[in-house]
Amino acid sequence: MSTSEALAAAQAARDAAANIEIPQEARDRARELAWEDGLIELALQQGHSLAEVWQALRGNIDGATAKQFLAGGGSIARPDFWWMKVPTEWGIKARASDPEMGLTIGDLNIGTYGDIPDVWYNRSEIARGSFPTPTVEDMGYTIYDKALIWADCCVPLYEVAIRDRWVSSTDLRWNSLEPLPDDIEKAVCQLMTEQSERAYYQGALLSGWLPEISYGYLELKLFLSTVIYDVARHAEAFRKRALSNGGGLGLQAPTDYNRVLQECRTFPELLATMFVQDSMLLTLFKNGDKIAQNQLERDMYALCARDRQRIMDYQIERMKHFLWKLPDRRDEQNLYFGKAEARMVKEWGDSVVWEPLAILLGGGKDRMDSGKAKLQGLRKQQVQDYVANLEKATFFRSNLNARFKDLIGG
Amino acid sequence: MAANPTIEPGLDLSWLNLYDEPATATPGKKGLTLKEINAGRYSDAARGGGDMTYRMRGAVARPGAHRFGPNYMSKSDVWSENCIMLYEEATQRQWASARDIPWDTLQPLPDEIERAMCQLCTMLTEVEFIAGDVPGQWLPFISAQDFEAGLFLMSQIMDEARHTDVFRKRALVNGGGLLAQGAGLGLRTLLEARDFTEMSVLMHVQAEGFVQSMFRMGELIGQTEADKRIFRMSAQDESRHLAFGVMHLKYVLDTDPDRAEEIHHYLDKAEGDASGGGSGDVTFPPVFESLCILLGGGVEKFDEGVQKFLLLRKRQINEYAHRLDVAGLNRRNRFGPLMAQFVDPV
Ligand SMILES: [Fe+2]
Ligand SMILES: [Fe+2]
Repeated sequence: MSTSEALAAAQAARDAAANIEIPQEARDRARELAWEDGLIELALQQGHSLAEVWQALRGNIDGATAKQFLAGGGSIARPDFWWMKVPTEWGIKARASDPEMGLTIGDLNIGTYGDIPDVWYNRSEIARGSFPTPTVEDMGYTIYDKALIWADCCVPLYEVAIRDRWVSSTDLRWNSLEPLPDDIEKAVCQLMTEQSERAYYQGALLSGWLPEISYGYLELKLFLSTVIYDVARHAEAFRKRALSNGGGLGLQAPTDYNRVLQECRTFPELLATMFVQDSMLLTLFKNGDKIAQNQLERDMYALCARDRQRIMDYQIERMKHFLWKLPDRRDEQNLYFGKAEARMVKEWGDSVVWEPLAILLGGGKDRMDSGKAKLQGLRKQQVQDYVANLEKATFFRSNLNARFKDLIGG
Repeated sequence: MAANPTIEPGLDLSWLNLYDEPATATPGKKGLTLKEINAGRYSDAARGGGDMTYRMRGAVARPGAHRFGPNYMSKSDVWSENCIMLYEEATQRQWASARDIPWDTLQPLPDEIERAMCQLCTMLTEVEFIAGDVPGQWLPFISAQDFEAGLFLMSQIMDEARHTDVFRKRALVNGGGLLAQGAGLGLRTLLEARDFTEMSVLMHVQAEGFVQSMFRMGELIGQTEADKRIFRMSAQDESRHLAFGVMHLKYVLDTDPDRAEEIHHYLDKAEGDASGGGSGDVTFPPVFESLCILLGGGVEKFDEGVQKFLLLRKRQINEYAHRLDVAGLNRRNRFGPLMAQFVDPV
């Protein structure tokens, strides 16, 4: 570059710099870092971009250092790489413990990265195991106690949920659907209308609780994300079934049970209350062959049952862990179960809930007697499984709902 | 046989008479998607008024149904014309970080490079964690009348869980670890939004847009095949989140153009955080420095990295400006100086 070219370039840089409006916050920051007046302009005149200046300001480069660098013609965004030296655990080589599953989040829980604390104290969104910034805003999480929410199984279940994912649009053979008798098709559609709403509501509800859970329990949050995605797909698959074979949507689901979920004040209360429906729906879908009218429905219920089994596994282990850690809170759980059972009994008695099931089990509205008997058998199975699931969670229900008791004859 | 205590005596069966319009959706090229069932009285076009009961669109209202608390009564508050297609695409394109990333192929890297990658992943796994909370926070406010928007956000929650996990895996798989927290990234502003559209513009369009522009430079940032693949797979997901936000903004502006100034106001504030704010704020020193090392190819080539970093910023800002143009929000003459300096003339 000739001298005249260099002078022209320098003048051009000065002209350009003169046209750049320097934001007030950059000036404020510079003042905090004791930059002399005019130093920002000098940097711009020397051809540094505003971004580089800002970089230096964010990097806490003090005025003296910045001036020194500019005098030497160097970069003002001088890195010091302090983050390379933070005292976190280094040298981690996680390896897949089960080659079939690949590298799982469970495989990462080694060394200090596997410490899942009983109480998590950091109120920011810091990744568990990274080096904390000393002063941070409170992000507003409310759940900091492992005893309230944790179950070890959420770690493997997260990866299993991903492995077992399915897609309703292509994994179910929609072309195989054949017309059904009118009353049966409408019974399927009514059941689908109800279940689609229940699934969608459960997804929306759980989603709303995610921002309450702190990073200490990362794996649980990841697992809950799979649950939310599972029930989203259930809501969608059920709707598709209702709208693909000559029927439509029927009457919306009863709202008594969902409202009691909505009313929960804490996440552990929600999980206890939801335990009842999670168990009942698992048994329902496990018995899907009895209500299915074709292969598509059999497949759909089986896939839903497989997803719901993971939720139940978490629910059981969470409750067991909770009761073990917080034995004083055992009796309190009876209150939540009691409320939830009462609402469920009310909904089971709703004709728009039980009649479609009786039609499907019996094989038509003219075979309601047989359908009702079979439904009674299914309800009994649901309650037995529920009580058994509670027992697996080391909970023995002291005042099981009277109607449930009648059903299981005890 | 004892009387069944949970089956009422007598029959009602009146619900059998609710079906006036037979729905017979048939599968299309991509199977039976939400698009095929979006027809007649069940379609989003046939949406009636708002509903606070979680009644799914097209279902018959149950007399006496409880309300569940306030939600958006108008479709334009939450809707995006592509949410149906994006949800189905999300179900088709789920991937598994456990198996779809060739972890076995990772080889030891020079210490400074490994540290830079681990620092970047530490920041990203933190950012992605919030990216799940933010849509989660808004799901209860979406009416089931607009359930496809809700389903899409649930698929986003799944995507963000996978991103949270894949960057944590990367940090812990190759002899490294997590490094410095990325506090100061402006993530809280995403949770501070008090309106769905405000949230969507700040998160989907701005923050995820910046992240996406970065992921799209993953071929330059990633030093190994596995790293490049992580960025590619994540970018595929981010493109859906971004597309939802751009089309939501467009829908709002098309249906409620008076909101433009209000939306500018949110962005004025967010962009006032000098660098652009939000989770795409790559000017935080540990992020900036690690990116420059990766882009340059080592500490020795830091200055080269800075130049590439400036290209990345340029790309981020220009793509952001373009997305706003597409949505119908002309902000080119409203950008603050820190952004304006990067914007190319149209
Ligand atoms: Fe993400
Ligand atoms: Fe995203």
